[in-house]
Amino acid sequence: MKKHLCLFFVLLSSPFVFSQISYIIPSSSSIANTSVSNTHEWTGFQNPAMLGYSENSEIGLQYENRFLLSQISTSSFQALIATPVVNTDISLSYFGYSLYHEIIGAVGFGRNFSDKFSLGLRFNYYTAYFSASNSYRGILFPHLGFSYRFTLNFSIGCSAFNPFQMNIKTETAEKQIPSVFSMGSEYYFTPELIWLTQLDKEISSNYRIATGFEYQMLKVLSVKIGAYTAGYLVPCLGIGLNFGNFKLDLNAELHPLLGLNSFVALRHSFRK
Amino acid sequence: MKRFRFYMVIILLAVMQIKGKAQDALSTIEQTIADIFEQYQQEVEEELDFNNFLEDLLFVAENPIDLNRATREELEKLPFLSDIQIENILYYLYQFGPMQTIYEMQLIEGLDMTDIRRMLPFVVVHSRKKENPKLYWHDFLNYGKNDLYIRLDRKLETNRGYLSISPENTSDVSSKPYLGDPFYNSIKYRYHFQDKIYLGFTTEKDPGEPFLDKIQTNYDFLSAYLQLNNIGKFKTIILGDFRANFGQGLVLRQEFSMGKSSYVMNVIPRGSGLKKYSSTDEYNFFRGLGTTLQLGKTEISAFYSNKQIDGDTVQGCFSSIYKTGYHRTSNEFNKKKTVNQQVVGGNLTYYFPHLQIGATVVHTLFNHFLEPEETTYNHFYFSGNQQTTGGINYRFLWKKLNFFGETALSNHFSWATLNGCFFSPFSLLDIVVLYRNYSPDYDMFYANAFSESTRINNEKGMYLGAELRPIKNWKFSAYADSYRFSWVKYRVDAPSFGNDYLLQVDFNPSRMVNMFWRLRYEEKQENLSQDTSIMSFVVPLKKASLRYQLNYAVGNFSFRTVLEGNLAQKSEEANWTYGLTAYQDLSYEFRSFPLRFDFRYQFFDATSYENRVYAYEKDVLYAFSIPMNYGLGSRYYLNLRYKFNHQLSCWLKFAQTVYADGRTTIGSGYELIQGNRKSDIRFLLHYKF
Repeated sequence: MKKHLCLFFVLLSSPFVFSQISYIIPSSSSIANTSVSNTHEWTGFQNPAMLGYSENSEIGLQYENRFLLSQISTSSFQALIATPVVNTDISLSYFGYSLYHEIIGAVGFGRNFSDKFSLGLRFNYYTAYFSASNSYRGILFPHLGFSYRFTLNFSIGCSAFNPFQMNIKTETAEKQIPSVFSMGSEYYFTPELIWLTQLDKEISSNYRIATGFEYQMLKVLSVKIGAYTAGYLVPCLGIGLNFGNFKLDLNAELHPLLGLNSFVALRHSFRK
Repeated sequence: MKRFRFYMVIILLAVMQIKGKAQDALSTIEQTIADIFEQYQQEVEEELDFNNFLEDLLFVAENPIDLNRATREELEKLPFLSDIQIENILYYLYQFGPMQTIYEMQLIEGLDMTDIRRMLPFVVVHSRKKENPKLYWHDFLNYGKNDLYIRLDRKLETNRGYLSISPENTSDVSSKPYLGDPFYNSIKYRYHFQDKIYLGFTTEKDPGEPFLDKIQTNYDFLSAYLQLNNIGKFKTIILGDFRANFGQGLVLRQEFSMGKSSYVMNVIPRGSGLKKYSSTDEYNFFRGLGTTLQLGKTEISAFYSNKQIDGDTVQGCFSSIYKTGYHRTSNEFNKKKTVNQQVVGGNLTYYFPHLQIGATVVHTLFNHFLEPEETTYNHFYFSGNQQTTGGINYRFLWKKLNFFGETALSNHFSWATLNGCFFSPFSLLDIVVLYRNYSPDYDMFYANAFSESTRINNEKGMYLGAELRPIKNWKFSAYADSYRFSWVKYRVDAPSFGNDYLLQVDFNPSRMVNMFWRLRYEEKQENLSQDTSIMSFVVPLKKASLRYQLNYAVGNFSFRTVLEGNLAQKSEEANWTYGLTAYQDLSYEFRSFPLRFDFRYQFFDATSYENRVYAYEKDVLYAFSIPMNYGLGSRYYLNLRYKFNHQLSCWLKFAQTVYADGRTTIGSGYELIQGNRKSDIRFLLHYKF
């Protein structure tokens, strides 16, 4: 009964509580996008070092809706291949609509070293459609990641997306690609309750400070609550539903000025 | 009881297996340089010269100090040890005799595990005294060590100095402001046989300087030395280029003098006497000959130097000494070696059981008159063509008090004095007090002592430093420095004062993890910038900074995470501005492959020059960088070291700064670069034979 009540209330509130962040980089399923040090969950386009901690291969789809406008939404496909030597992920994201869109394709590698730390490197190929020249322009840039586990309960992580600030230059314009430096920590109060913190700095934008708690309420259900600030304080809520090898994440955030952002991710794990 | 403790410690340490590795030496040296020089670099405008500092420590790492026979002079070569710690080591050896094992250092008062780990790469314990066999000439050839370093650097972007001034005249080389190409090149050769003979030469060409052409037929800077040690009564004989350091540095100290840093107890300069010069600084050294004679407990040193220095000579006078060593443009080239400088000096030091007393005299003669341009701030600067300075220095140990000081007199009875005392009331606490008073008209060319300013004059101040180790693995270091300038200074048009405070907490939970928090607050006075009023006035400049640094290692990997933020306010009415930086270091040394790499990614966001941030970077051997960053951007570098074999190794570094604050040019004048990226590449080849 308790299980069914929990599910009912959470599902009832889910349409109002989805989350994402405003970069072209697809968000993670971690609450308030605090994925840089989240060792228990891998998401494509996020800290590639987290690849190293995954034990199983996975495949997933995710969709983010920004402010209820489909034209500025992001869809992505992600797959992880776990091997004893190095884990690899392949991700593809699409942002925009037919007249303007941006696509990122990525191949990442991550390895966990003696369960103490993990290193990751991802190659991203970004391409955008430029209507002025009626052509696509693209550029290749790396995403570096690192995570260190001090104790079983505490770890830190950092990553640099487009660390060398590569941009696309055309004859008429220069397209800036986000260059994001992130640092964060993960702390397990108990095996069920995790506290995540993160500081992001996109080189041309405000600092973003985020924090969130993820609580594994039931075996099938986890509840997430958090907030971030980058000028405005944005509350975030989310849930995770486990159905055997499938996992569904529903996150939301309510921007006080721009409105609701929502995020959904469906993932399948190939357990060994 | 002491012996019982000793055996217990040996057993515990054997279990803990604290063990120094050879590569720890370089890591320790780099960390020491970062700790000491990062802060110092913030206070001075010019580039610091770490070459001798590093060379001395690398020599100690290759030829570790035997603790059982260590002298104060030898232990002073380890800059991370305080004077009290050195005294404690010597006292322990005096009281209990030779150590049986290196782990016995745990029993010495005032040494914690951090200090011991830092010391491990540089010390050994031998039970028997090494025999001194008779030396033959062929030993010098067969057993001497030779090192050859060839370094090549360049910036990837083209500075304005390399571009033609008039675009239509691009083929005319002479229209380019810089006379040479953008490459930096140096060759260093070093030979040494034990600690007895040192021989070497250095050649250097800075970027933009002409090389092998009509203007400059060879390297712009050439230097050579020969140093012989312990030949009969002669402790040292030097021919060629050398440096001289005596006392507390009020009269003569050409090497780095310890100042304010997180090593709060290390406030007095280390190393004394005449020493070979092997660096590439083109000004701060002597060229001639010198010797030190040891007569029982008396040491007598004498030297003579005669060299050409750079100055803007006009009609038999020059207004300032040009110290940068750059000869890139016609204007700079015209200043090259235009003034003859002769220096003669000496020192006499006598060692009593608990007292050391010394006297130093230096006389300088120029062939032209030095006449600084008349402004208020340099009213008391030295003018003339002859300067004589003398000083008396002392160290005196009385019970738990260790006094030190120096007083010096120069032309027209201008004077300077520095006095202080170390005190350790109990083993967990060390204290140092230092008072200095330098008169405005004291202006000695080679003075380099404890001070707030780089120039040793016009300053009065009191420094109080303390180190406390209340709990195992924790250390608290703090200093407070209050100073006053009784005459105006450069960019401070009124007598002014300032206060500087630092608190650092070190925590070392394990051998592989250590961290610190460093809080610093400084308040001093400066001219109000953009001041349009006729009367300039000074305003307080306040700056507070907080740094967290975490070092950790796993196997052959080592990591460093740093977060630093600062706040600055210029004048009471102005808003506080902020500076932030964060960086992650990663180093790895392959086990089965002779390659090591260091990688850093740094982000910085410093809204104004007052918020600028400094971060020490690993580099090719004998090259140093503590780049200053302000604005918004990121910086990264990759530093590689590959050992081809036991004799040949090479280093390669690539570093790039990318600004994201919309700037389209970097730098100014002839150093101006178009774009928002600044890249450097450095290569070093090291051959040992």
